[in-house]
Amino acid sequence: MNTEPITVIKVRDVLLVTMPADPDDATVSALQDKTLEAMNQNTVRGLVLDLSKVEILDSYFARTVAETAQMVGLMGGETIIAGMRPSVAITATELGVTLGKTRTALSVDRALDMAGRPRSNRKRYPQ
Amino acid sequence: MRERDQGEIEIKTEPDIAVARRSVRDVAIQLGFGITETARIVTAASELGRNVHKYAGSGVMRWRTLSNGDLNGLELKFEDHGPGIPDVNEALREGHSTGGGLGMGLPGAKRLMDEMEIHTAVGEGTTITVRKWRR
Repeated sequence: MNTEPITVIKVRDVLLVTMPADPDDATVSALQDKTLEAMNQNTVRGLVLDLSKVEILDSYFARTVAETAQMVGLMGGETIIAGMRPSVAITATELGVTLGKTRTALSVDRALDMAGRPRSNRKRYPQ
Repeated sequence: MRERDQGEIEIKTEPDIAVARRSVRDVAIQLGFGITETARIVTAASELGRNVHKYAGSGVMRWRTLSNGDLNGLELKFEDHGPGIPDVNEALREGHSTGGGLGMGLPGAKRLMDEMEIHTAVGEGTTITVRKWRR
């Protein structure tokens, strides 16, 4: 069974991790290893997790995302979840999924903009 | 009279859960379910398929299209010969898990679908049927 792989690239001082549309369990569990390994090898502030291609966020996937964010936090980085589709947000909420205190952004673009800024002292977007 | 479509996917390994998910997605889209309704059905299938794999080791997902007058729908039936569920009410309670999960699989799947029926006997197995009607 072929699933598209996860891609990890460094953009300025954050890691951009992009999940494929419908990852199988092995791909989901690779998220943790790939992300933490890349965090370890690069000098970055944190990571932006791009979920814009993702069509389904079931409880296993959601738990892995939340745990990964927690581990990245322990390593001193911050995770911003970006680009969740409306259908995924609705379904995940009805299922009962929560992602803890992880910051979120409408798009990767906005997430990259947020990435350098502390949570408590967020600047407003220029209008 | 429209011919009824049906099929089955064996769930033996973890990747089979993704195979089942993709089949359900394709059928739901063909039936005309919208993006969010399809996401609900596929997510429920993922939770129930994972339960089969996690608790029983293996089982089967049977799907069939439904037609009731003007209403069309999709039925998914997950059958296994695993340990069964000793207390169904407890298993449907939020946050209850015996498999190391978050305990949202069964109650979550029930919320995402229109109908759910559970037949289970300890030591014999479990059959969970869910249905979604197209509005």
